[in-house]
Amino acid sequence: MRKKNVYKTVVATLLGLVVLFPIYYAFVASFFSLRDFTSPIPLLFPPQFSFHNYVRALTESLLPRFMVNSFIVSFFASLVRMGVAVLAAFSVVFFRFRGRNFLFFVIIATMMLPGDALIIENYLTVSRMGLLDTYAGIMSVYLLAPVQLFMLRQGFKTIPLTYREVAAVDGCSDIRFLWSVVLPLSKSIVMTLWLHSFVTMWNLYLWPLLVTNKTHMRTVQVGITMLGYAESLDYGPTFAAVSLLIAPSLLIFLLLRKGIVAGITKGTIVG
Amino acid sequence: MKKALSPSFKQLKNYLYLLPALALAYLFSYRPFVKTLLNSLSIVNFSGNIVEFVGLENFINLFKDRNFQISLINTFKFAVMFIPLDVAFCLFAALLVYRKRRLTAFNETLFMLPMAVAMSSAALVFKAIFNPTIGVINYVFRLSIQWFDDPKWAMLTVVLLGVWMAIGLDFLLLLGALRSVPQQLIESAQLEGAGSVATFFKIQLPLISPTLLFVISTRLRDSMLLGGPVMVMTSGGPQRSTQTLVYQMYVEGFVANNYSKGSAISVVVFALTFFLILFAFRFEKRGVFYQ
Repeated sequence: MRKKNVYKTVVATLLGLVVLFPIYYAFVASFFSLRDFTSPIPLLFPPQFSFHNYVRALTESLLPRFMVNSFIVSFFASLVRMGVAVLAAFSVVFFRFRGRNFLFFVIIATMMLPGDALIIENYLTVSRMGLLDTYAGIMSVYLLAPVQLFMLRQGFKTIPLTYREVAAVDGCSDIRFLWSVVLPLSKSIVMTLWLHSFVTMWNLYLWPLLVTNKTHMRTVQVGITMLGYAESLDYGPTFAAVSLLIAPSLLIFLLLRKGIVAGITKGTIVG
Repeated sequence: MKKALSPSFKQLKNYLYLLPALALAYLFSYRPFVKTLLNSLSIVNFSGNIVEFVGLENFINLFKDRNFQISLINTFKFAVMFIPLDVAFCLFAALLVYRKRRLTAFNETLFMLPMAVAMSSAALVFKAIFNPTIGVINYVFRLSIQWFDDPKWAMLTVVLLGVWMAIGLDFLLLLGALRSVPQQLIESAQLEGAGSVATFFKIQLPLISPTLLFVISTRLRDSMLLGGPVMVMTSGGPQRSTQTLVYQMYVEGFVANNYSKGSAISVVVFALTFFLILFAFRFEKRGVFYQ
């Protein structure tokens, strides 16, 4: 039995290393020179550590600008997203009014309409609003996140309704109640959803590709596919750029690993 | 007067909180959905305005179009290769590590790592690894396959990229399911002499089947929406061998400016995904949702 367990661990580790390989290779290859790439035996370790590729990626292209674009879009889109979802969830959980459940359903049901199948019409809308090549245009279709709204509602529901009644008796306004009671009590779910939103926005590809034509408005995920090095087998700067993108998200991922595992296995965050 | 007004104002305020979400739902989901439906039944000019209502003509032409048939077949071909590979790998990996031992936490982390990598980065790395002349894959396995120029193989590279990107999440979902199978059940089965294969098929598999079916149906839906990896890795080629529905929709809409045809393809994608999402929700028992 014990021997069997050792086998299992060995096989699991080998498979795990295969899964890890593309990430490992991206980091290693970011140090390769053109000669290292075309070596007859593919190298799995850089012969020398030179940051030449990083320098080239950051200076020969607009990579820094792409990163700033992605940061702005991800940061503000997540903020607005949370704002929209928090207001809606707040209203649905703490107030009683006619059509409440129906309207909530109308919003949640947009989950059934995958955004990637709506790109043509949404492109026309955004273009008519004059938002092509703007941050607002990139964010626009992602400002409503039905899944997050749903999770926020579940989170808010854990707050006793009596709090609201007590607060109302004390003359606390709705917005004040939201700001100083509901949000502090839901800090962890709001932060998790915000971070999740940020990563989702940061990783977008198709929509930002469509609504940006000017090079300096591209987001980083779109930008790195157009650096133009790959055609000449000179992958170095591309891998440097990819490594620059993977490193921080790997770091965040490893730091939050426990929370992510718990979240997914218990079924709170997915996607 | 003021007092009489305030209750109705209060009622109105409740709706105001919902207004931003409703407006966005209308503007970027319902309105484009209805317009896509209408466009698919009409002739649409270059600026996206309807010229003439033509009924189902676009769909009839679409299904007669060889190009569309290829997209449809390729999309399903992707699903048929991608889902079994993904599920088999993740299930195997989860079975290896679900019992906590030394190194399992480390192995778990390795399997989860792809989650931290965005699609376009992953696609670029795969493009280099599979490069026929300088790539690692051909060298290590002593192959000389033209991965991106041979229509027989190009789809497999897209599938492998898809599997790699899906591993992190699907592995974790199945791992969670396996760990929630009561340990006593497994132990008592083994006391009665059941081997690990019998235990798996008689006890674990039935108990994790809701999660398994959920994974399969959501991945089926994702397969219908495959577009991005194709754009970065193969641009639908070679010889249209990786051209999927969403990729063709993108080409019709944004390269050929053929909005009627693009919209008709969208409607087909909607129909396919709609049923698969409903299917997924049937198996969704723990509040897990996809975006």
